[in-house]
Amino acid sequence: MLGFLFRRLGDIIPTFFGVTLLVFFLIRLIPGDPIIMLAGERSVEPERYAELQAQYGFDQPIIVQYFDYLVGVFQGDLGKSFVTKKPVIDEFLTLFPATVELALMGILFAVFIGVPLGVLAAINRGKWIDHLTMSISLTGYSMPIFWWALLLIMFFSTTLGWTPVSGRLSVMYFFEPVTGFMLIDSLLSGEKGAFTSAVSHLILPTVALGTIPMAVIARMTRSSMLEVLGEEYIRVARAKGIAPFRVIMIHALRNALIPVITVIGLQVGVLLGGAILTETIFSWPGIGKWIIEAMNRRDYPTIQGGILMIAFVVMSMNLIVDLLYGIVNPRIRYKR
Amino acid sequence: MALLEVKNLTVEFGSEDKPFRAVDSVSYSVDRGEVLGIVGESGSGKSVSSLAVMGLIDFPGRVTADALTFDGQDLLNMPAKRRRQITGKDIAMIFQDPMSALNPCFTVEAQIMEALKVHEGGNKKQRRERTLDLLNQVGIPDPKSRMTAYPHQLSGGMSQRIVIAMAIACNPRLLIADEPTTALDVTIQAQIIDLLLKLQEDSDMGLLLITHDLALVSEAANRIQVMYAGQLFESGPADSIFAAPRHPYTQALLEALPERSEGHDRLRTIPGVVPGQYDRPAGCLLAPRCRYANDQCLKARPEVTDFNGRDVRCFYPLNDQGQPTGMATGETVL
Amino acid sequence: MTENTTPSAAPASNVAEAAVEPVGAPPSPMRETWAYFKTNRGAFTGLIVIGVILFLALTAQWIAPFDPIAQDRTAFLKPPIWMEGADPRYILGTDAVGRDILSRLIHGAQLSVSIGVAVVILSMIAGIVLGMVAGYFRGWIEVAVMRLMDIMLSLPSLIMALAIVAILGPGLENAMLAIAIVQLPHYVRLTRASVVSELNKEYVIASQIAGAGHTRQMFVNILPNCMAPLIVQGTLGISSAILDAAALGFLGLGAQPPLPEWGTMLSEAREFVGSAWWVITFPGLCILVTVLAFNLMGDGLRDALDPKMKR
Repeated sequence: MLGFLFRRLGDIIPTFFGVTLLVFFLIRLIPGDPIIMLAGERSVEPERYAELQAQYGFDQPIIVQYFDYLVGVFQGDLGKSFVTKKPVIDEFLTLFPATVELALMGILFAVFIGVPLGVLAAINRGKWIDHLTMSISLTGYSMPIFWWALLLIMFFSTTLGWTPVSGRLSVMYFFEPVTGFMLIDSLLSGEKGAFTSAVSHLILPTVALGTIPMAVIARMTRSSMLEVLGEEYIRVARAKGIAPFRVIMIHALRNALIPVITVIGLQVGVLLGGAILTETIFSWPGIGKWIIEAMNRRDYPTIQGGILMIAFVVMSMNLIVDLLYGIVNPRIRYKR
Repeated sequence: MALLEVKNLTVEFGSEDKPFRAVDSVSYSVDRGEVLGIVGESGSGKSVSSLAVMGLIDFPGRVTADALTFDGQDLLNMPAKRRRQITGKDIAMIFQDPMSALNPCFTVEAQIMEALKVHEGGNKKQRRERTLDLLNQVGIPDPKSRMTAYPHQLSGGMSQRIVIAMAIACNPRLLIADEPTTALDVTIQAQIIDLLLKLQEDSDMGLLLITHDLALVSEAANRIQVMYAGQLFESGPADSIFAAPRHPYTQALLEALPERSEGHDRLRTIPGVVPGQYDRPAGCLLAPRCRYANDQCLKARPEVTDFNGRDVRCFYPLNDQGQPTGMATGETVL
Repeated sequence: MTENTTPSAAPASNVAEAAVEPVGAPPSPMRETWAYFKTNRGAFTGLIVIGVILFLALTAQWIAPFDPIAQDRTAFLKPPIWMEGADPRYILGTDAVGRDILSRLIHGAQLSVSIGVAVVILSMIAGIVLGMVAGYFRGWIEVAVMRLMDIMLSLPSLIMALAIVAILGPGLENAMLAIAIVQLPHYVRLTRASVVSELNKEYVIASQIAGAGHTRQMFVNILPNCMAPLIVQGTLGISSAILDAAALGFLGLGAQPPLPEWGTMLSEAREFVGSAWWVITFPGLCILVTVLAFNLMGDGLRDALDPKMKR
């Protein structure tokens, strides 16, 4: 298991260095003078120019610049935002919990709807319920989620008035964030109705964000389940006189979920990409909305730092999923 | 009364109007303490018939029978829940490939204890003790450490012992063993058969031994059923079948045994394969492969008849000399 | 004796005849794939829908009732004709500046299909060349190319596309380029994997002995044998290109107004989420249907080509 971990790290570390390189050159690839870009000012006086050049280290050879940048990254220094003048890493850490909360709910939605749909389709293979489920899945898979989010708002918020249109919490409530997770903070605050408000704000973004992963998971669960249901040990379990429901839920599903876990891991990237759209539409104060705003304002340090952090998160998640895979699948656990 | 009574069991697959009969009106019975061997090539329907007895034929397959009773209880028409109480407890089954018969996600212990939990209840400690007993009984060395092993950590022979332990966990009165040694090394095969027979004798179980290995049933079984393409071809006491086969197919199977090929350059074989869904002959199912077949065999299907106290499905059952009776010499076609 | 043998041999010879019956050349690979494809109802529906969309895209200039960017100051936010208060000239209604939605959607089909096809062609050509070179020459060049692709894959595709657009600046061409770059790793990986497996086959070695040069080996001998998975990926790539382009347009970084790109239309329509459902519903529906059609066809193609790859 430890060897397995090291081998995966051996894959990931060079890739991460590659991403730092990519992100580092991002700014240098922008057409035009990076100093003027970085200054974010219309015209720059020569003295100010030299000052900026020194400040950002552009007077150094490019290798030295990259090395400095790398040292900064490892010290948690991702530069300062042009707009807010605050360190990028601080802004990231403040906003990150909101995105994690949304992404977590999204993946929970995807798993808790997608897996049962896939199982249902598999045990009713070829019947109308299978066709229906797979049609839903394919539609979900092809869904432009920014439109889906607007439809949800149109129907549930503006027409039915069931859920709020945007934000994380009603303006009636205010409390200092403790964990950054609104569901937990609203409970901790002890304010009446705050938790309900947080939940009602979460529902639509969760559905919008979770739809594509749900569709992918449902399809994967179905095909994996079909394969497992044909295995001999399923017949053996039934020959033991075990009820069909238990055979499916315990014997088949446990095995069928092994490949599904890998797919769930791959959805982390999809979720973070989707979070950009979802957060923009629902005015969800997370890193997706933050990055889009930075792009619209050409706030390069924020873009740079944000992308690096997202890459870091995706890679760490993939590593965690790989390790989880080893825990669920005993064959891998013992092989190494 | 016989422990298991099967009368005209038929299993069909495919569409209603053009069904494929995997098992065609097969009848047999197994008594307490008796070993019945069912012999046939692959595709002869022997596994399907045993799955039907277990109630494991799924939706597209249709099971019909004039009688399918266990200890006097009608298995076909009882509620599914009641049947599950018998399946795995009173009737247990061992499958062909032990390596795929164990669920890769669960430990040995969990898989054996599951059967105990469903049928016997008791607390976890009792079940664990019983599991340890069982592992001892099936001859697993160092059973304590094997309890928490996963299937991929076990060899084929070891896995089959676990599968057997799982099957006998609830002291079944009838054990169905479907090719229990086919997937194992030759050296292990004898050990597993000895184990099965010992367990059968000790607890006076009925044992239904399904195999394509004639040599194996000749040692193990009291009575033998020979099946071909879903049909019963011959049945009778083991020793008399070996002494004087009445059906040309049985005769050919016996001749194909290596120990009976002494004096021949090559092993004797039966040409061709068992007919499948799409190439069923119009007449006797064996006709295209039978050395004695004539026009009648090609046109009409024989019924099972009583010949010298044995059930035989042939127009011209063989006499003690191994020659077809009731047929003019020189009439054969092949 | 001899006439007696005939009946017993009959079943066997019948089977043999049945197998030989369709005399003549075996079906061409194209026709065989088509035969598989036709039996897949979903894929066939996808193909028909794609046909309709292509027709609309090609004839947009003639069949669209209005100029897609012409504004009618007398008809702002008119609902579709089956609603009350509709303007009978505008079948699907008008948007906030009085443009005919139907005409914009038809012209949008033209844009989306061109985006999808152009992106995939661009990305596929670059991907095939890179993957081919990596798989054919192996060594450091393979390590470098594949490592770069790993890096690109470690970023979520939309974020990667956004980053590239942030560098190049917003606009339709830049968005297309960004999406083509984002899709690149898929084609590179697929090509390389097929090339590596083809490389040791005898026909490659044979033509090497016959004196074929590297370029000929790569693009004349090996490439045609790697095309099946690439075609499938290309079809699915069109759908994800259309989706990503619409997402960029929606975020204001892709096609710029007044271009009638579906995502851009949605972005302009966002503020009417509570008041004018038609400006939101129709563009999104077009994206969904188009993407779904390409996905259905891609799945069908995969199923149709797969048995051959296994053979």
